[in-house]
Amino acid sequence: MNSVMNTTWLTSFPTWAWDQVSRFRAKDPPAQQPLSIESIIASAEQSGEPETDLVLQMISQGRYSLLLRPQIATNLRTDQLHSAEEALDATMSCVPAGPVIMRPRRFEDLDELELARSERIVDVDGYFLDRYPVTNEQYLKFVQDGGYEQMNLWDATIWPAVLGFTDSSGLSGPRYWKHGRPTDPKLPHPVVGICWYEAAAYARWAGKRLASDPEWVKAGAWPIVADNASPQQRRYPWGDALDRKLAHVWGSGADDTTSTRAHAGGASVGGVNDLCGNVWEWTSTSFGVWDLANLKIETATPMRSIRGGAFDTYFDSQCHLHFQSGESPLARKHNIGFRCAVGFCDVASYQTPEQEAAA
Amino acid sequence: MRATGQLELDSYRLAQYTVSCPCYICGGGNNFDADLCRHCYAPMALVHQANSQKIHPRMVAAIGSSGAGKTVYLGMLADMLSKGRDDLQLLARGAFSIGLQERTMAALARCEFPAKTPTEPDRWNWVHCQILRKKLKPVELILPDLAGEALLEEIDHPNTFPVIRAFLGKCSGVLVLIDALRCQAGEADEDFRAMKLLSYLCELQADKKTGWASKAVALVFTKADQCDNCFDDPAQFARRHTPGLYLQCRERLKKHAFFAAGVAGACGYRLEGRGRIHVPLRIEPRGVVEPFHWLLDEVVK
Repeated sequence: MNSVMNTTWLTSFPTWAWDQVSRFRAKDPPAQQPLSIESIIASAEQSGEPETDLVLQMISQGRYSLLLRPQIATNLRTDQLHSAEEALDATMSCVPAGPVIMRPRRFEDLDELELARSERIVDVDGYFLDRYPVTNEQYLKFVQDGGYEQMNLWDATIWPAVLGFTDSSGLSGPRYWKHGRPTDPKLPHPVVGICWYEAAAYARWAGKRLASDPEWVKAGAWPIVADNASPQQRRYPWGDALDRKLAHVWGSGADDTTSTRAHAGGASVGGVNDLCGNVWEWTSTSFGVWDLANLKIETATPMRSIRGGAFDTYFDSQCHLHFQSGESPLARKHNIGFRCAVGFCDVASYQTPEQEAAA
Repeated sequence: MRATGQLELDSYRLAQYTVSCPCYICGGGNNFDADLCRHCYAPMALVHQANSQKIHPRMVAAIGSSGAGKTVYLGMLADMLSKGRDDLQLLARGAFSIGLQERTMAALARCEFPAKTPTEPDRWNWVHCQILRKKLKPVELILPDLAGEALLEEIDHPNTFPVIRAFLGKCSGVLVLIDALRCQAGEADEDFRAMKLLSYLCELQADKKTGWASKAVALVFTKADQCDNCFDDPAQFARRHTPGLYLQCRERLKKHAFFAAGVAGACGYRLEGRGRIHVPLRIEPRGVVEPFHWLLDEVVK
């Protein structure tokens, strides 16, 4: 078990992670964009080291998390490790360890007493979450790297179905692509038309995983525990009321996905963007686990939890952070995408408070 | 003790009662202060609106078997258009025209479907509205939420519901709602019911030039969100899953088009008492406005 879980998140939060968080604490988004992958590669290429090719390739593919795994990181040179860390800094946000309140699906119908009984406080380990949903451009790298042929990336139970995960022209890839790639204007849009298994396979390829429901909620709701009271958490990443300028939901404008960078003002306290609106996001949790026994929903097949609402979500009450919907894990819908997570414990440079003290 | 108050002279009311007020739907005579037509139970507000504003609204119907999703479709359509985001905008005429929208939206926001429309015509919701179109003249429309069971009862036993016969006789166009899920599951009932409805319309007004053969008919596969392939090509879906209906449309209707629509992204069942209630897991309308837009263009042409 990660030692972070046993301490309060304030003391277990690494210093360099605090820098990440504090960068996004200002009310307005930062004037400068975070360091891009391209600039990291360019600076590394200037070093003229041919042996860095594989490392650079993995960083350019967005697979820096694999390089940062403790068992791999020890074999890297300091500059290579530094490049991978910078890539992680540029693309992922830090979510501190701590408690988060998980509510049942129909919590708004419950009175105060019932709500208090139905809420569950879950302790979440510290982890990193992608700042943006995975885009078509990022997913294209997975497809071009033969992601659909590498069976070790896929759950064994789903192997027979992988051949059927094709685009509109019959090639392996998301449902709405054609001839193995998205259209150019859609490159910066979140990838859609992928089932839960495709999302999980991509995450595995990138050395990451899908976030669990509590992790996902915590990244947006940013709970604050004051004076040992119950955590206070937000309804939307920016506050408690929906603002259609900050999230792409029904009534915000376009009838389709938009670029993941289109709603910069809607970032969470920790700097995670597009959590509400644009596309629903697959999580690793099953649908309905937070519901009370008497409010459980039966579905034809077991469903996976999706969170955050999409560009066509009609009601404000269905696109906030605490609303859970579900979908069959094999569904390849036009409005469901995903983002990836990686635990502090899977990143070599993370040090526990004991290790930091010893250093 | 002597009463000194004045007695109001109400004789003008008697004069009003002597003049018959015809129902806007069936044309039957009614008293001036009737709420519902005593012949067909259509709201008399429709005729009062028409007289006071000197306009004669066109009529459009949404028909389909029980459970096809007429109430959800019409309520969602009214709400989407009343928010003024599309090329079409809807302005309700009279408070009674907002009932359907209100009832449907309240249920959907709670992740529930609205209750089934009762069979009794006096409990139906009627929408009288003005449709505003960009750079085009506004259109006045009457759009009721008819009960599916009443529709089928009227087809099997004509004149059971005079309001249906009278209304469909005056309609300029119709939306036929067909449950895509049932069709995909291979349930032939849905195909038969839709064919029955079309046959009834064609017999109601058999004239080839002015009858239903030349009026606009939008065939809408509802619940398509749960059979996604329906959105790709609704006509192809009809050919595969409702071959009888597809053939009948091709042979008997001059102006028709197939559409797919969905309101819920996914559905489940909530256990309540001893039964299971079908509930949406979220609301994400898709393909709702398009059939209506097409129908309106055809009707106004």
